[in-house]
Amino acid sequence: MQHVANLADRRPQPEETAIEVAGLSHVYDGPDGGVPALQDITMSVGSGRFIVVVGPSGCGKTSLLMMLAGLRAQSRGTITCYGRPIPDPDPKRVGVIFQEASLFPWLTAVENVEFPLSLRGDPKDERRRRSEAMLELVGLQGFGARYPHELSGGMKQRVSIARGLIQDPPVLLMDEPFAALDEQTRMTMGHELLRIWNATRKTVVFITHSLTEAVYLADEVLVMSARPGRIIDRIPITLPRPRTYEMMATDVFGKLRDRIWQQIRQVP
Amino acid sequence: MTIRRPEPSTVRWAMLVTLLFLWEFVPTTGLLPELFLPALSSTLKVLYHDWRTYFGALLVTLYEVGFAMLISCGGGILVGALIGGVMTLRNLLLPVFSSLYAVPIVILYPVFTAWFGVGSESKIAFAGIYAFFPVMLSTAAGIRTIEPHFILAARAMGATTPQLVTRVVIPASLPTVFAGLRLGGALTIIGVVVSEMLTSAAGIGYLVTLNRTILESSRVFAAILMILILAVAYFMFARALERRVVVWQAAGKQPQQARDTTATVPVTATA
Repeated sequence: MQHVANLADRRPQPEETAIEVAGLSHVYDGPDGGVPALQDITMSVGSGRFIVVVGPSGCGKTSLLMMLAGLRAQSRGTITCYGRPIPDPDPKRVGVIFQEASLFPWLTAVENVEFPLSLRGDPKDERRRRSEAMLELVGLQGFGARYPHELSGGMKQRVSIARGLIQDPPVLLMDEPFAALDEQTRMTMGHELLRIWNATRKTVVFITHSLTEAVYLADEVLVMSARPGRIIDRIPITLPRPRTYEMMATDVFGKLRDRIWQQIRQVP
Repeated sequence: MTIRRPEPSTVRWAMLVTLLFLWEFVPTTGLLPELFLPALSSTLKVLYHDWRTYFGALLVTLYEVGFAMLISCGGGILVGALIGGVMTLRNLLLPVFSSLYAVPIVILYPVFTAWFGVGSESKIAFAGIYAFFPVMLSTAAGIRTIEPHFILAARAMGATTPQLVTRVVIPASLPTVFAGLRLGGALTIIGVVVSEMLTSAAGIGYLVTLNRTILESSRVFAAILMILILAVAYFMFARALERRVVVWQAAGKQPQQARDTTATVPVTATA
């Protein structure tokens, strides 16, 4: 399962909608009244698609992700995930992967991965077996007994991904998961993520600051404006899959990246 | 060819040995009167001949330190965790406790002796309260520095509120708890010894005061030496325990942390 020989044999996904957001707005309570954070977000994410959200800092990308995860309530509008609203976190439907800082330092890699299962009270050997399998999927077989501080940044992020995948949710939300990594590790991890995505066929909503990462990973890039965040552009990325590093040097890639940059740059 | 810089630990041990050497030999040269600084050997001789007195005093002091630590460390960490963790309590109580912290609590000691007598009870009460505030405030500050992503991630993984507390908040606050234990223990020892020196009839602090008034210098220094050893032993014990429990902190910053740790040992000894 972890060695997908032919990346091109990815089956076409059924025309099912994984996430549906309609008229979503959010206002924060500030000292001088409300601070509008998100404004009239409408989006629809097809099952199995890889969506990347980019936008200037503070545009509400993370807030949007928190709401998709059921971690935060919106002021107005609706979010449905596979047809049902998500008022509270539901790890069976939605897995969330944060930056590396969210691994628990007092647990080993394998204990971190099985943490969601232990919360549910799954039997010990069952969850150990599954988390070992997950570590294998992300390419960390043999590292289960290490503590996070004994792992490199990229390895920690692989553990995070394994933890997000272990309950096998159809949707994965990723909040700048590779932001703390150096450029080379970041590229490798992006490539790894596509491999895992291909092997598991999740619906992914991925937030990033990196335009290159956005174009490289996405089926579609959503560009958000500065606060209050609105979606100002939806860019389908037509580059064929599997994506290769060579594609980054092509004209098409450069044009796509430039189109995003122009939109973000316009914002003062 | 290359001159290697000696290991910091080697230098520290060399300094300690030099200090002990000077302690032994400077008084014999007559540069300093025996009254100011009795030689190390005469100090040790007192400890050897009078070990029953000193050991008995040590037991009294230990007993007081133990109970006072229940107040300072036990109470301080518990109240600190509550104040740090619960916002309404924090807004209500933190300003009060922060200003109380500024009060020199030693002025209350005469009141404590009036309430609890000159026995161990007044020392326990004084030292316990003396160390309670710093421990409580540092715990409250530490609890608030728990990585917010830990909580968020656990919630996203479906943790209930009790699970959040037992599986995330408590392990995440262990480093803070141990910092509180180290600080609290050291301050409690100070509190007990100071109160024994002020008004009492037992304990090591009492031996210091008693022998100073009758100018028995080597007996004073014998008591001081015992307190030094007690403080350093406590510090090293707390450190060792912390390293075993909080593996990720001790190992995570190994080179830097290791150096810091051992560097503080002689500092405590001279304090």
